[in-house]
Amino acid sequence: MCGIIGYIGFREAKDVIIDGLKRLDYRGYDSAGIGIIDDKLQVFKEVGEITNLEKEIPLIKGDIGIGHTRWGTHGKVNKENAHPQISPNRKIIVVHNGIIENFKKLKEELENKGHTFTSQTDTEVIAHLLEEHYEGNLEAAVFTTLKQIQGAYAIVVMCEDEPETLVGARKESPLILGVGDNENFIASDIPALLKYTNRVIYLDEGELCVITKKSIHVFDENKKEVTKKEDIITWNVKDAEKSGFPHFMLKEIFDQPDAINQALRGRVSEIKQTINFPEEVEKLLTNGTDSIHIVACGTSYYAGLAGKYIIEQTCKIPVIVETASEYRFFSTRNKSSLVIAITQSGETSDTLAALREAKHSGCKTLAITNVIGSTATRITDGYILTQSGPEIGVAATKTFTSQIIILLLTALKIASIKNTLGSNDIYDYILRLKKLPREVRQILDNSNEIKRIAKQIKDSKSVFFIGRGINYPLSLEGALKLKEISYIHAEGFAAGELKHGPFALLTKDTPVVAIATNDSTYNKILANISEIKARGPQVIAIADEHDVEIEKHADFVLRFPSNSTLLSCVPITVILQLLAYHVANLRNCSIDKPRNLAKSVTVE
Amino acid sequence: MKCVILAAGEGKRMHPLTFTRPKVMLQIANKPILEWNLLNAIKADVKEFVFVVGYKSEMVRDYFGNGKKWNVTIEYVNQGRALGTSHAIGMVERFVDDCIVLCGDTIFGMQDIKNIAEKEISIGLFEVENAEEYGIVETKEGKVVKIYEKMNKPFSNIINAGIYHFNKDIFSYIRKTDKSPRGEYEITDSINLLLKKEEMKGIFLKEWKDVVYPWHLLDANEEILKKAEKKIEGIVEENTTIKGNVIVGKDTLIRAGSYIEGPVIIGNNCKIGPNCYIRAHTAIGNNCHIGNACEVKNSIVMDKSNVPHQNYVGDSVIGSNCNLGAGTKIANLRLDKKNINVILNGKKLDTKRRKFGAALGDNVQTGINSTINVGTTIGNNCFIGQAASVKGEVTPNSKIL
Repeated sequence: MCGIIGYIGFREAKDVIIDGLKRLDYRGYDSAGIGIIDDKLQVFKEVGEITNLEKEIPLIKGDIGIGHTRWGTHGKVNKENAHPQISPNRKIIVVHNGIIENFKKLKEELENKGHTFTSQTDTEVIAHLLEEHYEGNLEAAVFTTLKQIQGAYAIVVMCEDEPETLVGARKESPLILGVGDNENFIASDIPALLKYTNRVIYLDEGELCVITKKSIHVFDENKKEVTKKEDIITWNVKDAEKSGFPHFMLKEIFDQPDAINQALRGRVSEIKQTINFPEEVEKLLTNGTDSIHIVACGTSYYAGLAGKYIIEQTCKIPVIVETASEYRFFSTRNKSSLVIAITQSGETSDTLAALREAKHSGCKTLAITNVIGSTATRITDGYILTQSGPEIGVAATKTFTSQIIILLLTALKIASIKNTLGSNDIYDYILRLKKLPREVRQILDNSNEIKRIAKQIKDSKSVFFIGRGINYPLSLEGALKLKEISYIHAEGFAAGELKHGPFALLTKDTPVVAIATNDSTYNKILANISEIKARGPQVIAIADEHDVEIEKHADFVLRFPSNSTLLSCVPITVILQLLAYHVANLRNCSIDKPRNLAKSVTVE
Repeated sequence: MKCVILAAGEGKRMHPLTFTRPKVMLQIANKPILEWNLLNAIKADVKEFVFVVGYKSEMVRDYFGNGKKWNVTIEYVNQGRALGTSHAIGMVERFVDDCIVLCGDTIFGMQDIKNIAEKEISIGLFEVENAEEYGIVETKEGKVVKIYEKMNKPFSNIINAGIYHFNKDIFSYIRKTDKSPRGEYEITDSINLLLKKEEMKGIFLKEWKDVVYPWHLLDANEEILKKAEKKIEGIVEENTTIKGNVIVGKDTLIRAGSYIEGPVIIGNNCKIGPNCYIRAHTAIGNNCHIGNACEVKNSIVMDKSNVPHQNYVGDSVIGSNCNLGAGTKIANLRLDKKNINVILNGKKLDTKRRKFGAALGDNVQTGINSTINVGTTIGNNCFIGQAASVKGEVTPNSKIL
């Protein structure tokens, strides 16, 4: 997981690259580096945030360069291991995102030939191989080098002897081209270049590109030139900025009413009372959905778990949810089951690997993702975009609720196909869905109570979240949000599971957040709350606005507007997000960039 | 000599029309402002252009391409960050030597462009009545002494018209320019640095049309249409009255009973009438429909918009892809006959016009019998419900029911 960028054109390459790296730092930020050709090749690297690097670079001219912000996978965080990695003759440099799986073998071979390595990175191997193969044509050297490499990569390469050319290539890691006038860009992600151009070309698996100021040529693995289509990005730079909020995360929490609308847009017809998806998606949902397998990681996995409750309840078909990284290790595959992958970035490598595995075993695949053109959208039989816009905060917020909305819509679509819900029920759901943005807005507008309760738990060492039914995955998500941004230990449990072990951890200093909805689980959760209270912890309940009974059991109550249980999961999630945010804020944590974490995880 | 046209601005003061297009792409007499400048510069013998683009640059590029359609070459430079005019001009250092620079959102005349092109290191000047809105230029014996920023009580009414002739030296002054108090790199500051070392001639322009607010489009439209010559390429049914200079585009059908008083331009593939009244200084874009019992006066109706049934549109600008419901009417005159005020971006402005209707952004739909009061601005993608009455500023994507 790293961010890379390359620039060639008429601007000061240093400014463009530093600027781009700052926009890519959600991909990792343990160290950063930049290489510029200004008569001769110069490379600067620093440990820490990109501003550290910026301070260290002397006044340097040059209109071609590459840069890298790293999230280490091989070797410690130090200057030597930062990119760009340099060839022994100091002529060729490379920035890389991904993992070279056979680097140990390649390294040994090179060492036997007399090469000495200065870093512990897998990437340095590429730089050495490029020098070995370089015979006056960088493009040819890259082709030859890539043939020897196994693993995932997005690379950009630059050579002092060819100061008019950048060469890039990708396999299983993202890389896009930004098309400019008298200048061109190459980067891991769109925000890095959006300031300068909104015309992009998505590189496909195994493709290699040669970029000059005025030209872009793309080749497939067999060196055959391919014609690529330009896409226009309609978000503007402002969309990717904080627009006045202290943190991206808070901005993105507040984006949710709009994000929900976006997710519903074009898919819900109030007049016809139907749910509509693109043709290929509808085909997937119509044919052979006897069972569903959901694969995902992290927050998306919890969205998947919530999806299980939603789909099983409305469609009466079995749903299995699997952590993507474990999916491969299960040996049975049901060909007739639809595999739905949930990945915000569309590049999460564990999820992509699971998808490939599923395809390989003959399953139909469907991706739910936020990024058009991402790998997930290209390798599946169909995809549904959450259309949430860029999410910069490392902790997923609006993309989670959008994923839930998409899962709700998917469930309603299947239910209408399978006739497990009548058209009146579906219409009722559609009306309730349309109310969600307003309900979320209501919570956002009245978040003072959440802030007050955040004070109660900010000094805790440990916080538990419990729920039953669909509220169980929500309690997992609530715990994940709290631990990832506030660094407080937090666990989510199915409420019934507490007494099978975790009870031993309860003390008066372990607050418990309990989600109580007015459905068949209500009395049971009240009983659980009483059991907990008896052991001393404070209980913070999240309950329906009309629930009076809960006051007798819980110490604090946070309210959400009444709606059907399946749909309440969206406002409840927003409460959990705000709670985590305010706790982290009171603890002065680095909310948008929690330690050790990166936004999209493109290594396994 | 190359001509650099600054076309990167969003034109916030042109809201709601610029929510969906850059200012230079606003159409006057059915051509973008930028095209009028391009055409005039071409007539002044310029063949090589550099467009500095930014906001929604793809629209500029899509329309003008590489310039082949006009037999000229057009290069593009994306400004990246919008950091002011000096920054924008600094962008083209690698692409030009001796060059004319002009602001793409102001319309300059052919002869004036020619005059500027002939005098190395010069600046276009223009005398206006109200100089408060512009940079004031102090001159002495035809030479520029200093340029001042906008001032409340200007000592002169000679203003900086936004057209320059520079040589390569300007770029060294641009590099030395500091940010102005309003946080931008201004070309006037760079010029003031230049004036300390070099001379710059002031050249008075004969024609100059600055468009700042939506209602200025109507003035510019009128001025250009006054020079229009009659040309009918579409089909005109019998019993139609066409007076004066009227331009009717290809595949446009004018049905019986239409009464058109020039100067008027109607684009291609429109359906006009039957029985409608189109009055002077009106520009109707391509693929529009003006239907039965509608009156359109001194207005701009952009592409793919419909004024289809029993509508009145006077002194108004209607964006593209709009549809007025039957009976929707736009008021354009106050009963007390006072100047019309407009609220734009939350600020109240005097249009200094006695007659002004409304400015509608793109994709606005109105319901039957809705009424739109004088000076209303409606953002793009708005719904105005049936029989609703709107006034003031309606933000984009609103539903008024």
